[in-house]
Amino acid sequence: MSFINNNWWLVPLIITIFSGILCPAMGTVLITHKRLLQVNLISHCVLPGLALALALGIHPSIGGVISGLLGSVIAESLTNRKSENYEAVMNTILAGMLGFGVLIIPLLGIRIDLEAVLFGDLLTANFGDLLRTIIAFLVFMILITFGYEKVVYVGLDPEGASASGINVSLLNLALSFTTALVIVSSMSAVGVILVIALLSTPTLLGLNKAHSLRIAMMRSSFFGLCISLLGFVLSLVFNLSPGPAISVICVASLLIPKLR
Amino acid sequence: MATLVAENLSYSYTKQSKPALNKVSVEIKPGTLTALVGPNGAGKSTLLKILQGQNAPDKGEIKIDGENLNRSRSLIALMPQRSSMNWKFPITVEKLVSLGQIKYSKSKSNTPFQIKALLANPNAWINKCCELEATMQRVGIANLANRRLDSLSGGQQQRALLAKTLMSPAKIFLLDEPCAALDPPAKEDFLKIVRQLADVGLSLVVSSHDWGESLNKYDQVIVLDKTVLAVGSPDSIKDKLNDINISALNENNSLN
Repeated sequence: MSFINNNWWLVPLIITIFSGILCPAMGTVLITHKRLLQVNLISHCVLPGLALALALGIHPSIGGVISGLLGSVIAESLTNRKSENYEAVMNTILAGMLGFGVLIIPLLGIRIDLEAVLFGDLLTANFGDLLRTIIAFLVFMILITFGYEKVVYVGLDPEGASASGINVSLLNLALSFTTALVIVSSMSAVGVILVIALLSTPTLLGLNKAHSLRIAMMRSSFFGLCISLLGFVLSLVFNLSPGPAISVICVASLLIPKLR
Repeated sequence: MATLVAENLSYSYTKQSKPALNKVSVEIKPGTLTALVGPNGAGKSTLLKILQGQNAPDKGEIKIDGENLNRSRSLIALMPQRSSMNWKFPITVEKLVSLGQIKYSKSKSNTPFQIKALLANPNAWINKCCELEATMQRVGIANLANRRLDSLSGGQQQRALLAKTLMSPAKIFLLDEPCAALDPPAKEDFLKIVRQLADVGLSLVVSSHDWGESLNKYDQVIVLDKTVLAVGSPDSIKDKLNDINISALNENNSLN
């Protein structure tokens, strides 16, 4: 323990590594399933859960995962993805849940560092944050290890997957749950809003010409790890906030191939 | 070999909506190539989904060799419309085709029951691999096995999707608008392949908007517009098709 206490950067560094690998891998599944809008929705929906959990004396992460999942389920039950109203309904619930979260914080009389929740505060991360990241990592690994074939089939041909006996709704619920878990676990690293960058940018680089979902996930994770570590080092050297630094590097990494 | 008989099928998407199908009866004999033609919204895709068992009809019944559809559902396979597929998904042609072998049981098991059967009989693995290769050769995509799906032309993608559908143990294959968005040579190629499959004893139903010359390639034509307007050999329904063409055109003009 004294080693860790003397090296305060160690826990943030391990969280950076785990988040850098986990978020892009999850993002690859979501982008290939055309569910990226769900990430935005869930990330905005975690705030009321965090606030309510704090008020009730429960761990905020549990409340965040539940309210993220709840927002996703409400949105999916109000519309279906083929409907032209889909995006409008998703964005309405997204804004409504965020607004609800901001409203109840003063009403419940609790103190939340909103800036840290939304944009991350990696350098002050503790063991609890690390544990949350590892749990999310394990849940994702279990989903992919035991459900890889189903994830591929549903992403490629949802109707065919359903006809072959796969419970598509259950798999989508499992994906929403894992997404909520990944977003909440990344709260300390990049914050629930900026996590979208780490979920999507490395995936765009990793998906290019990949011949399977597995290879795409591995490549995305590699790019995500590089981006996260670079952001971590730069924030230490130049005394920057790591979450926004990682997000800016994500944009820059998209532009680099265009400059060639 | 299997004969499919559907009698008096009626179906509405909601209780308030007009029927998508009304008293539809069809018979698909073994080793035949059937065209299911009709305008947009005629209920072609709805009928195919009902015949495959994805949707249950409000009225009517479907039998395969005299047995209820629920007991013989594995004898029917549906190739979905192009638009229901995610063509950008990172997957090779070979992997896509192999997905056609997978059938999940309704039990809690994560393992496809066909794979369990294969584990019990290791020789079956070799047979399955041969079957995969043979199916890809049959539809002319063996040389594309390691290509990514989104690098193929529209015609090649449709053939890959057909190969996936053929990997199921079914005897009756329902193809939902497989030639949509294909150029004439690719369409010609595709119809040649399905003709060959029918000649070896499989039954195929191909839905299409095309009421033209290509209908001569089929053994049976079913004209559908909510209900069956005509059924028979291409020659026997030619006159009826002309009437239907004119009425459809009139209807469109009156709408404009």
